[in-house]
Amino acid sequence: MTIADVTKILDGKLIAGDATSPRAVGAVVANDLMSDVLLHDEDDILLLTSLASDQAIRTAHIVGAMGVVIHNAKPLSETMIKVANDLAIPLVSSPLAKYDACVKLHEAFLAEERG
Amino acid sequence: MPGATDMSEYSPVILQGQQTNDDEILASTPLDAKALGGESSEIIMELLQRFKVRDVMKRQVISIPRSATMRDAQRILRDNRISGLPVCENGRLYGLVSVNDIIRGLDGGWMDEPCENHMAKNLVVLEAGMPLAFALRYFNNYTYGRFPVLDSDRKLVGIVSQRDVMRALLYELSVEIRKLEMKTSSKAAKVEQEAKGNFFRREWAVVHNDLSRAGHAANAIKGILRERKIDRAIVRRVAVAAYELEINICIHSHGGVIVLLISDNSVKITAKDRGPGIPDIEWACRDGTSTANDWIRSMGFGAGMGLSNSKRVSDKFEIQSEVGKFTIVQCTFELPKPDGAAEGGAQ
Repeated sequence: MTIADVTKILDGKLIAGDATSPRAVGAVVANDLMSDVLLHDEDDILLLTSLASDQAIRTAHIVGAMGVVIHNAKPLSETMIKVANDLAIPLVSSPLAKYDACVKLHEAFLAEERG
Repeated sequence: MPGATDMSEYSPVILQGQQTNDDEILASTPLDAKALGGESSEIIMELLQRFKVRDVMKRQVISIPRSATMRDAQRILRDNRISGLPVCENGRLYGLVSVNDIIRGLDGGWMDEPCENHMAKNLVVLEAGMPLAFALRYFNNYTYGRFPVLDSDRKLVGIVSQRDVMRALLYELSVEIRKLEMKTSSKAAKVEQEAKGNFFRREWAVVHNDLSRAGHAANAIKGILRERKIDRAIVRRVAVAAYELEINICIHSHGGVIVLLISDNSVKITAKDRGPGIPDIEWACRDGTSTANDWIRSMGFGAGMGLSNSKRVSDKFEIQSEVGKFTIVQCTFELPKPDGAAEGGAQ
């Protein structure tokens, strides 16, 4: 599941980063507390958060995340978008609530597993 | 913000005490950007963090009680030549009556009704303890010219305008720049400290409370380690520690530095700050213990995981602190010997 797939599944819009990135989601972390996010060791994390700030992007970069989704269509500042572009972190805005976004991603993973 | 009062209309409340002329301060400020180079912006950032809203706000605020009529409000606005009036009782801010509300009252014929029925109730406010950097972000995010200021008990204690912020900054800048001019040469020598022998060393300044810049050092450190093809798992651990320590300096200290030292067999991250120090290091290193305030938490930090996270990812973790003076944290990461190095670079 690439960032393009994530964008489609979550009815979102890619705001920054490369839409054609081939990196696949390795794990989904839904959290607004950045120190919690830093505890995760998985590769290619997709970070779902309502923290619409530069720090969400910086944290994603530190853990080597493959993308960030800001849910509830929270407004994104220009600096946040700039940081995402600078650090090459794909940034998606989704109108879904965090829970609904998690459910949709989970369903998509199950469908992917079934082939 | 829907329903928020347009504070840009809120002209100055009673200005008691000395009134400073901004132009005079500007003229007397020896601001020579060329001579100062990049340091001038650092000074401004430092001031924006060091100074709090309470340091620059006006403390004399004219207000009316909720029972006052719209006509009372109109008279006070006119007599004091102001265009916005906080509705406040025993320090608690209930709303604000603006000239627009008065015009609507005249049109609608409710000038003799209590102002609490027609005042704006959803106000954007600042807290007295917030750094000026935070106030400036409010001025950028909202188009209001000034904000009411509440203390930690949510009581109205002042009002702050962009003009107040600029005036304080200009004055303090003139003081700081004079100090800086006296030690420019020695400071310049400290700016770049490069590799010596087999060591690579680099240092980044971290400014108190400037969360918008926090993470720059950790991001740069990650980039440097990636360029050196250090194992990706180690890069990630170093980056996590650097980031947590950088955030810690930013939110808990008076400012400090993050130092990266790479040798043949290890990477060291050292976080040094200028106080206030940690009274109980054991307590501070436990998960979930924090002294962060609400606005830091609203930025996604302050959960008390910083030191414990840094310790968790390090091969060696050392911390020293003296209350009122400093805290130094050093995280060491062992590098595998060249023949045992993992293949591939960091992601």
